Amino acid sequence: METPMADDLLQFRDYSGGAPAQINVNSPTHGGSGGSGGGSAGSGGSVGGGGANAQRQRGDPLADLIYDMTSSAQGFSGAASSGGSQPQNSSLDGSAGGGGGGAKLSLFTIEYYQQFFNVDTYMVLERIANSMIPKRASGNYLRMNIGENPDLYGPFWITVTLIFSIAISGNIASYLQQATDAYKWHYNFHLVSYAATSIFLYANILPAVLWALFKYSLKPVDSADAVETDSASYMPSLLSLMCIYGYSLAIYIPVSILWVINISLLQWLLVITAALLSGTVLIAVLTPALRNSQFSLFLIVGILSAHVVLAAGFLLYFFHNPTVPSLDPVAPTPAAPAAPAALKAVTQAVVNAVPGNQTH
Amino acid sequence: MDSKLDMFEDVNTSPSLEGDMSIPGKRTTTATSASGVPEYNTLDEPIRETVLRDIRAVGIKFYHVLYPKEKSSLLRDWDLWGPLVLCTFMATILQGSSTADSMSDNGPEFAQVFVIVWIGAAVVTLNSKLLGGNISFFQSVCVLGYCLTPVAISLIVCRVILLATQTRLLFFLRFVTTTIGFAWATYASFVFLGQSQPPHRKPLAVYPIFLFFFIISWLVLSHN
Repeated sequence: METPMADDLLQFRDYSGGAPAQINVNSPTHGGSGGSGGGSAGSGGSVGGGGANAQRQRGDPLADLIYDMTSSAQGFSGAASSGGSQPQNSSLDGSAGGGGGGAKLSLFTIEYYQQFFNVDTYMVLERIANSMIPKRASGNYLRMNIGENPDLYGPFWITVTLIFSIAISGNIASYLQQATDAYKWHYNFHLVSYAATSIFLYANILPAVLWALFKYSLKPVDSADAVETDSASYMPSLLSLMCIYGYSLAIYIPVSILWVINISLLQWLLVITAALLSGTVLIAVLTPALRNSQFSLFLIVGILSAHVVLAAGFLLYFFHNPTVPSLDPVAPTPAAPAAPAALKAVTQAVVNAVPGNQTH
Repeated sequence: MDSKLDMFEDVNTSPSLEGDMSIPGKRTTTATSASGVPEYNTLDEPIRETVLRDIRAVGIKFYHVLYPKEKSSLLRDWDLWGPLVLCTFMATILQGSSTADSMSDNGPEFAQVFVIVWIGAAVVTLNSKLLGGNISFFQSVCVLGYCLTPVAISLIVCRVILLATQTRLLFFLRFVTTTIGFAWATYASFVFLGQSQPPHRKPLAVYPIFLFFFIISWLVLSHN
């Protein structure tokens, strides 16, 4: 803490005329550094940014030098006070705070939620591609890309699209499996409700559970570990996890269309391929957070298992109808059979109707 | 003599009150009508004329949806009559038939179709506003509702096709009809709503509209 005081005294001597302004500019910054919240650091950075702009307008190189020294001192004090990744967060939060402004919006206005939809088309497409292709995202994708600007546009609309693509594809698969000249096929609208329930539960509850597990299993931090994992460990927010999980479901939209092809080997191959691709990306993206947890191995197995179970559940419930043997005994018809041909027709109709009942 | 004088004064006061009442009415009517020609107060007109004027306004909106050339006409004065009529009509037809065997009836109920249309329009509108669009809530719901007209027309055509014995050719005809209605509705809503978004976010706003009409069209095609 001596270095900031020295800088403060130095500024006081050089600018005796503007002393109150300088003290007012620097005091909140030091207060922010003293506090532990990232928001305080962000606001401090914002104020510092304003001061820097004012000084640069004068064109004084000594002021720039003093500002740089003050920023370095803040960063160093931040590193000493908390985790290893704090200085980068401070600078990044400062820039973000400067861009966003300090206005606090009410929870019940649309403008509050617009910050979660602050994305452009290419960003959404980039995130969708990153969620499908392993090794495409950079190592610090979680902190630098998702953590800075988590959005809910992709998670929401990918989830809605997946719900209806599974329901529609499931009905098409049912039609291709059952529709014959003797049986009148009806589409099952309840698939929409079942798909909506399962997918929304998966996309919302699982990130919350994972976030709680990250919080619960946080490793105790000592100086050596802090120095070692300076650029690798990161604690994601709940919104970031929901964003990542929402985008990770994008791969199942084309896969659900391909599941209509009624070849069992191809269907299971698609399950394994999609689950492993998406799960691998999830684990690669979450590595900075997993490294910081005591149960990283169990979390990795849990993430992959949840993805495989989700894909297999989709296939078994929405696309797979058990084959009904034609030799099954059928219920006796109430009316007496008039002719053997009529009896065969009735039996065929009943046998065809059975898979529909089982589906329902 | 005193009582007679009082009665005479009361009789004199009544005409002036009537005169005061008539003048503000005329001024209000003149100020309200912006076309320059002073109209008489619409409160006195027959109900039939009021209903016919509103029906004509709704019909003009239907025409603009089917022939989407003028952009701002549908957005200037919004109403929810057309969306309500279309939604009720489509939900009535699309609900599953209760006369058949209840075990095999998996079609949507009236309430489910109704909810999909209105909640879908509301969600698409909220998405547009959250992306920073400068359009009001009810304007967007009005446009999405009126743009269901091509889908409703394709539903009528599909019902007519379903009267005959079903073959693959007739199914293909239903598929083509539904696709035309879906494409037309999406294009019309894009013409009206596409300009309210920043250019770099227009695809993000158009995709939910596409998905909304796709789902409604799937219900139309699947109903048999």
